[in-house]
Amino acid sequence: MRKVIVASMLTVLLMIVTACGGNTSADGGEVFEYGAQKNTDPKIMGQIVKLLIEDQTDHEVNITEDIPASPQVMNAIDQKDFDFATLYSGEVYNNHFDEDQVEYSTDPQKTLEQAQHLFGEKYDMKWYDSIGFSNQYSIAIKQAFADEHGIHTMTDLGQVADQVTIGTDNSWIERDNDGYEGYKAAYGYEFADARGMDVALMYAAIASGDVEAVTAYTVDPQIIEYNLTILEDDQNFFPPYEGSLVARNAVIDEYPEVAEVLDSIVGLVSTEEMTELIRLVDMEEQSTEDVAREFLQEKGMLE
Amino acid sequence: MELLTDYIAFWQDKYDSILTYTWEHLVISFVVMLLSIAITVPLAIYMTKIKNEQVKGLIFNIANIFQTIPTVALLAIMIPLLGIGFKPAVAALFLYALLPLLRNTYTGIQSIDPSIVEAAKGMGFSTFGRLFKVELPAAMPYVMSGIRVTTVYIISWTTLAALIGAGGLGDLILAGIGYNDKHMIFTGTILAIVIALLLDLLFHKFEKNYAKA
Repeated sequence: MRKVIVASMLTVLLMIVTACGGNTSADGGEVFEYGAQKNTDPKIMGQIVKLLIEDQTDHEVNITEDIPASPQVMNAIDQKDFDFATLYSGEVYNNHFDEDQVEYSTDPQKTLEQAQHLFGEKYDMKWYDSIGFSNQYSIAIKQAFADEHGIHTMTDLGQVADQVTIGTDNSWIERDNDGYEGYKAAYGYEFADARGMDVALMYAAIASGDVEAVTAYTVDPQIIEYNLTILEDDQNFFPPYEGSLVARNAVIDEYPEVAEVLDSIVGLVSTEEMTELIRLVDMEEQSTEDVAREFLQEKGMLE
Repeated sequence: MELLTDYIAFWQDKYDSILTYTWEHLVISFVVMLLSIAITVPLAIYMTKIKNEQVKGLIFNIANIFQTIPTVALLAIMIPLLGIGFKPAVAALFLYALLPLLRNTYTGIQSIDPSIVEAAKGMGFSTFGRLFKVELPAAMPYVMSGIRVTTVYIISWTTLAALIGAGGLGDLILAGIGYNDKHMIFTGTILAIVIALLLDLLFHKFEKNYAKA
């Protein structure tokens, strides 16, 4: 008898918990969840998605920020904790699939198609076409250092590599395809030293002269701030990381009005525009919401 | 089973760099421990001798403030002063280790029964004789437990060294998070745990032997 009571109490509790899960917005719509990684571009995209959905539908969007990296965002989508996110096409080469499933390529279109197909299937989500900006690895050095040695390309950097310490995020050194091992093979030289560190501190390190080069991301506003120059990837080594919105299939199938909003974001933000938006947030300390709203107003998508 | 063979293959592939990370981790932790013990334990003993409560409060407050500075902020402050790599990592971890070590050692020596000290005085021990023959042995369990607790902290905090280019097991963990490699995260974590437990055990043995002697 006691077992029955306990079991029924648990059932009631479970029903309460699940009922809480299906949140309802003030206008009677759903509350969707958007998950953003640590970097600023997915946070800005979250505000763009939120502003447009809340403006054009009865639904609301809740944003969760500072998820450590994309794999954790994907897992949360898999667990139905997140409905939307911004992910990057090159992630498809990031140890998610067996080597025979993925074909390594630096062609943006081919990379995007593989990401759409493979991730779309694995996590039952729609991977939209590119938002328009790319956040890929590149190598940046100080403009003064580049001028002094006449360095324009990554091949040029090889001539002075023995005096170069590179600061990089912690995973680049351990990456297979697009990491340091692959880089050494593609360019035929190695740096005097390669130190993994926090991305924010990586820029502090090049500013203070502790490292001569960093693996910058193409949208980073610090490239402008610290007068760095991105070297041309003349061997076409780094894979593209085109930003795309993703959404759970269950959500966009059930709410076509939401799908329509997400469709309108495809091709909306170029790399230059995103760099400027990130600069406003990171350097001018404006809120991601204000930056996103002003951008949408300029584009005439929001009043 | 496949999980296990996968994991063995991972070790075969990476053991070189895993050993390097482990070594870096050990070196950083040891230097921080030696430095902080060498400076903090005498300081704590000195603090039990001074009567001025304001000075004591000031020292504790300073140690407290260091511990509350957010990690990335502290590391960012270190870069212009000490650059990247080993030195700023040791300096930052040293500042974090100050408080637990100071507090534990201080409390340990404070907690000695005053009648023991009085008895030693009555027997004609000098200040230093009292300190080494009576007070320190009596406070030893407390001091050692402070050192043990702090050591476990330091081993786990040393993963932060990876944020500033000093390597260590944190490099493996962060690389695993960014590169979607569970083997790396697991290996970095488990090795840090094993090192912490082993050291704790070692100190425990040392403490027991010391108590017998």
